[in-house]
Amino acid sequence: MLFTEVRGLPVLVPDGDGPVGTVTSLTVDVAAGAVSRLRLRRGRFRGETALPWEAVLSVGPGAVRVGSAEAAESAPVHHELLGHRVLTENGTARGTVLDVAFAPETGRVLAVFTTRGEVPPDRLLGLGDHALVVRTAWAVR
Amino acid sequence: MNELMAARSLTTRPVVTLGGDAVAHVKDTVCDAGASRITGFTLTGRGLLSGPLKEGLPWSSVYALGHDAVMIRDRRGLVSAAVLTERRQSLRAEVIGARVLTEAGDEVGTVLDVVVEGGTGGRVVGFRVAASRRFVPGQSRHGRRVYVPRGVSATLAGRDLVLAGEAAAHVADDLPGLTALVAGVPGHPKGSPP
Repeated sequence: MLFTEVRGLPVLVPDGDGPVGTVTSLTVDVAAGAVSRLRLRRGRFRGETALPWEAVLSVGPGAVRVGSAEAAESAPVHHELLGHRVLTENGTARGTVLDVAFAPETGRVLAVFTTRGEVPPDRLLGLGDHALVVRTAWAVR
Repeated sequence: MNELMAARSLTTRPVVTLGGDAVAHVKDTVCDAGASRITGFTLTGRGLLSGPLKEGLPWSSVYALGHDAVMIRDRRGLVSAAVLTERRQSLRAEVIGARVLTEAGDEVGTVLDVVVEGGTGGRVVGFRVAASRRFVPGQSRHGRRVYVPRGVSATLAGRDLVLAGEAAAHVADDLPGLTALVAGVPGHPKGSPP
């Protein structure tokens, strides 16, 4: 599944009668190579809430079902991957992130699609406020 | 061979950790006494209006000098800028504006900029020089800007930079030309039309 497919989906709780919010983005833990938080907006004038990925029961079709809509206790700093700058470890720009493919069951990142090709998850080094840093020797498939 | 860069172009390049966080921007390059390699960078803060940082980046903490960023392992690589520039001067103060002379005493010109090699070496490979009229004859009113390879050794004595041996026998018109010269590829002979 792709990040752009998940964005905007309604978030449902098992006993609720309506969606508790809509998905705004997914936070990726680059070291673990997996999605760590689901970020949702509960209303137009309310801020974003980060749910732990463990609370997610299923993703799609048409909605994200979560066990509980309680916010994670300590949310790491969120760096939005989509549109983020990509740098190699040698300090050369490699375009920007277009989309991220992930396994909806486990949250594992399968591939990052950039304007300059696909990056396998084992090439990801770090994600910070400036850029997504990737290992140099990644092949464009 | 790694990409060659003019030291002036390094100013404002972001300093980025492998974790992807930008910690500072390059303010100026510091090199050693013989202008043979980079010893570090002085830094400015990230904001538009932030001034110079008290911390500097020693070359030993640099992971790679790249086209779009100076990569470092993490923020702990920064040291006090006073230590960095204690005995060395920044390029701007020391090398830029120096007279370039050959061993025979012929004046080549004055240094406009220093050309360094990217990657992990931090070598100074040459200089951008405003050539003196006698060294590069030409009809240009402003004199010729040429790239002179540093050669195997160079010494900085006061405001004179003396190149050893045949270093100034060939000069290049641009950075690709200097790359070819330094890599030992023939071409771009001295005095070729720009």
